[in-house]
Parts: sequence; structure tokens; C-alpha cells
Amino acid sequence: MNIKAFFVATLSTALDLGIATPDDVLRHVTPDVLSAHLPRPLWARLLTACVGAPRVDAQLVVETIGVPNLCEHVPAPILWACIEELAVRALGGGIIAAPGPAATSRPNPTTAAPPSRPIPLSTPPPPAETRPTPPPMPVAVGPSIPSPAAGEGDGDARSRLAPSQRFRQSNTGLGRLAANSARRPQAQAAPAPAAPAELASDRGTPQRVKRGQTESDYVDSETFVGGKDDWKNALAVEDEQLVDWSAADETVTNGDELGRKR
Amino acid sequence: MSTDQRQAWFARMMESGLENDIFAPSDVLAHATPDVLASHLPAELLSRVLASSLAAGSMTPERVLETVTPEVMAKHLPHEVLWQCIAAAAARAGVDKAKAVGS
Repeated sequence: MNIKAFFVATLSTALDLGIATPDDVLRHVTPDVLSAHLPRPLWARLLTACVGAPRVDAQLVVETIGVPNLCEHVPAPILWACIEELAVRALGGGIIAAPGPAATSRPNPTTAAPPSRPIPLSTPPPPAETRPTPPPMPVAVGPSIPSPAAGEGDGDARSRLAPSQRFRQSNTGLGRLAANSARRPQAQAAPAPAAPAELASDRGTPQRVKRGQTESDYVDSETFVGGKDDWKNALAVEDEQLVDWSAADETVTNGDELGRKR
Repeated sequence: MSTDQRQAWFARMMESGLENDIFAPSDVLAHATPDVLASHLPAELLSRVLASSLAAGSMTPERVLETVTPEVMAKHLPHEVLWQCIAAAAARAGVDKAKAVGS
């Protein structure tokens, strides 16, 4: 009985056919096993090959030593364990667990990786809503300082900053905000504040949001028609204040533009 | 791992086992029993086995394996049966896994 010749034929054929990989062999024929059983001349050959190789992996080790030499010097039970694992896998029984010491004494972390198995990838969450949310009115009036999270290279956050910057850089926008702030006391001074109050609660607040979002939303004629009537009522009551406001605000020279945007 | 690769590997293992006296033809027929052969071998091969035995005057395991070669076994017989034959021989040789763990 020549068990070693049988091992040579079995392992060589398995490697040639792709039944086994060098990683499968080194999973059993560990460096510890080689150090204990491989002769020094073969170790010298292996070290020479490893030093001169750009990459040291299981294939290099197996090819350098050679299957006949492995089967000649490695104990038969170890080789048989390797062959048995290959057979179990070939027969569809899956990969049996390798002995514990063999799994922990691998020389190369890359070769110690278990055979690849498909990792179920969860579907990525849907992309976040990129529609910018307008800053609240006090933020728009005051200095806009980006939050630390927005300033840490978040492209999405930067894209959200762009509309607000454009809004701030527009003089008409500031003028409109100033007009709003100047007109609020007028509405409050009106004797019949019920209608403006309702507008402020029903339409006024969403209107601010729309102005900060898009220009298409900015033009809300229906909302402004209703507001214009109340505004006229407010004008009838607070005419003096309106005169003071237009005379004091010299920067808003194009009053027609202001009226058009309203 | 394709079926052809696995088939070639088992054929080579059976061939090497016979060549190196890991197991004998009688050991093969102890697992590849007449029932197994009759169930899996095609009619043509069964006919040839019987014809060769009739010509020789006896049906010995060696004569059966002259027709049912390792390639034929790996092609037609269940590989589990072949592996049982190999594993049993390894156990007899003392190289089974239990001893490997203990060593």
C-alpha cells in the first residue's frame, strides 16, 4: 500500500481540476505543520521563493514545495483531513470546519480568509429628499452661519446653502423682508385684525416657506390677491406710516419691481 | 466546481487507490454492490460485464473492474458510494480524521 502516492495523485488532480485551491491545502498544512515536518532544504527553497516573490500566498507555498514533497513529509492524517474536506465539499456537504489550531496559524491574513460567500446586501435607503427647506424667517434676516455639520464637506448641505445665499445676496429679497417687518406693525395697528391674523396663520406662514423654496412657488397670485385687499385696508388705516416707510427706504428705488413681486 | 471536474477527480482517486493498493477491487465491489451496479450502469455496460464473465467462465471483482473502470464508475455510480469506498480504505490505513485530530 502506497498511501503517499495516493495522496499525491489525489491532491494533484484536485488542484489541477480546481477541486481544491492552495488555500484549502494550507488550511490543513499550516506553517506550524511545515515547520515541524518539512526538511530544512525545502524550507530554504521556500524562504528563497518567498523573499523574491512580490506576493506570498498559498499558491506560492504549495507550488514551491510541491505536492509530492508535501505528501512525502506531512503526516498522512493531516493530508487525509484535507482530502476529506475536499470530498465533503465536492459531494455537496458543504465545507466542514477546519481544526481550530489550523485556522489560527495562517501566515498570511489574505489567505486566512474563508471562502467567499455571498453577502446579502440590503437595498440602500432611498435618497434623501434634496428639496431645500427654507430657513425660518429670523434666520433669513439675521446672519446665516452654516452649522458645523453643513461645513464638514457635506455636498448636500452645501447644495442647500446655495438658495439661501442667493436669497440673501438679492437686495430685493432684503427689501421685501424689511418691508414685511415694517408692515407688520401696520397690520397689528389695524382695528380689524381678524382677517390678517387668519392670513398669518393660514397663508402667511406657508407663504414664507414657498418664498424660500423655488421661484415657481414664489409666485402665488391667489395668496397675494387676498393679501392685497387686506393690505389696502391696512393702508386706509395706517397711511402715515406707509408714507414714512417709502420716504425712509432709499435703497428700494424700483418700487415697481417691489410691487410686481408682490 | 463542475460535474466533469468532480467526476474526473473521483476517477483519479479510484484509479490511484487501486494502483497504490489503497483498496482492492473486492473493496470496490463491497460498496458498489450488484444492486448499485444494476441500478446505475447502463444496459450496454451490464451486457459487457456479463459477456466478459461468461467468456472467462467466472465473474471476479477484478474482471468486473476491467469493464467497470474508474472512469466508468465515476461517470455512472454515485460519488457518495465511491467516497465511502475511499474513506473506508483510509480508515483501514489509519489516516482517518479522528486520528488526524488526535495527532
